[in-house]
Amino acid sequence: MHIPDGLIPAQVCAAGYAIAGLTTWYSLRQMNRKPDPTAEIPKASLLTAAFFVASSIYIPVPPVSVHLILNGLLGVVLGYFAFPAILIGLFFQALMIGHGGLTTLGVNAAMMGIPALVAYHLFNLRQTLGRALPDRVALGGFAFLGGALGLGLSTLIFLVLVITTIPAGFDVDTERSIILALSLAHIPLMLIEGSFTTLLVLFLHRVKPELLEG
Amino acid sequence: MAFASLEAYVHGNSVVHRWPPRLKLVGLGVLMFAFATVQQGILLLPIAAIAAVLYGLSRLPLGFLSHRLRYPGLFIAAVVVLLPFTAGDTVIAQWGWLALRQEGLEAASLIVVRFVSILTLGFILLGTTPFLTIIQAMRGLGLPVILADMTLLAYRYLYEIADNLATMQKSMALRGFGHQPRRWGVSRRTVQQLAMLVGSLLLRSYEQSERVYKAMRLRGYGYGQGNQATLGRTNVDAQSLVGWGLTVAVLAMAVCIVAVEVALSIG
Repeated sequence: MHIPDGLIPAQVCAAGYAIAGLTTWYSLRQMNRKPDPTAEIPKASLLTAAFFVASSIYIPVPPVSVHLILNGLLGVVLGYFAFPAILIGLFFQALMIGHGGLTTLGVNAAMMGIPALVAYHLFNLRQTLGRALPDRVALGGFAFLGGALGLGLSTLIFLVLVITTIPAGFDVDTERSIILALSLAHIPLMLIEGSFTTLLVLFLHRVKPELLEG
Repeated sequence: MAFASLEAYVHGNSVVHRWPPRLKLVGLGVLMFAFATVQQGILLLPIAAIAAVLYGLSRLPLGFLSHRLRYPGLFIAAVVVLLPFTAGDTVIAQWGWLALRQEGLEAASLIVVRFVSILTLGFILLGTTPFLTIIQAMRGLGLPVILADMTLLAYRYLYEIADNLATMQKSMALRGFGHQPRRWGVSRRTVQQLAMLVGSLLLRSYEQSERVYKAMRLRGYGYGQGNQATLGRTNVDAQSLVGWGLTVAVLAMAVCIVAVEVALSIG
């Protein structure tokens, strides 16, 4: 789910870079507010590499297999470091396998990264809205929301961008219904991604809770 | 992971190889964006020709490009394959219910030529410049220190973590994972096992990052800014006339492309 070079107009690419630049600046500012930001850099870098490697894992859903995006999970685990992590991951992907592109790096980073930050804030809501719930239920429930909505929002942005910028000759109503239909088709994937995030967060909570404090 | 094969030709001696990295990054980057602005069919031939000439100048083998274009090419083909049959009203050819339409064909060729030309420039950059030099040049152009450090560290540990995952997957397979009879639908057990696999990978990476951080601290990481200043300083060789000449030529072409595009779209 990456937008390749040459598919969308240059104005959209430039807007993507502007949004990604602003979000990176904001994320870096938040990161610099931490008591010891340099201590966070190796952790965020190695987890960036780990997420990049883990995104190659496929989940068998016979007769097909789906691959995970993990952007919601990245937000949940890395917090504000998720945005630069996604930017770097997409940069590597564009270089190594030609997936995505260099002119569309900004658009792709905004498309994947902003939902990751939304997922981070959703996951943090467990401390206020989820206080009444049992610990594990709140943790799992908000992780599910983060994982599922992280993917859902990215998919929606992707579909809107691709379908409205490719001159396929559809009128506005047809475009809207195509976007709606394709978004609905992604709901099962959101459920898988959400469940995966829940299971992983509960696992990390059991064995290394400090990883979830980012 | 394919960085090694990407760097197979970085030590050549063509003019593009000798193009100072910072100038090359700016020149090719601006040209890529100029290519992305193209909406007029008349500009397709010139941009493809510019990309081809630059590729020729870089003296990279053709196999390098065709091998690299294969995977992203399939993706773009899947996106545009329907366009010539759905978009537009001017029918060029008709086979029963299937009609080839001119507007759709133009839109598809626009996307494909832009895509191939931009990617060719990207592979010229990557095929002639070592990855670390690119990061260094980006630092010189104002990439924030945190991003440069994160990119370099992630790059450094990528292969190690990929090896880790491969070992873990192999041991899962040896213990029977993936050999169960296939049933339709998602198996909760499989998802749980894969979640634990990713969780363990994150844990190992996290623990390794703590050791890496301690080792970096011991070597002075985070004390003062001296190391960062040297990282950012690349020598733009003032005597590299060819480099400056290429940069000016490439930037002039980019300006021409955008000017023609704007003039044609207004007119």
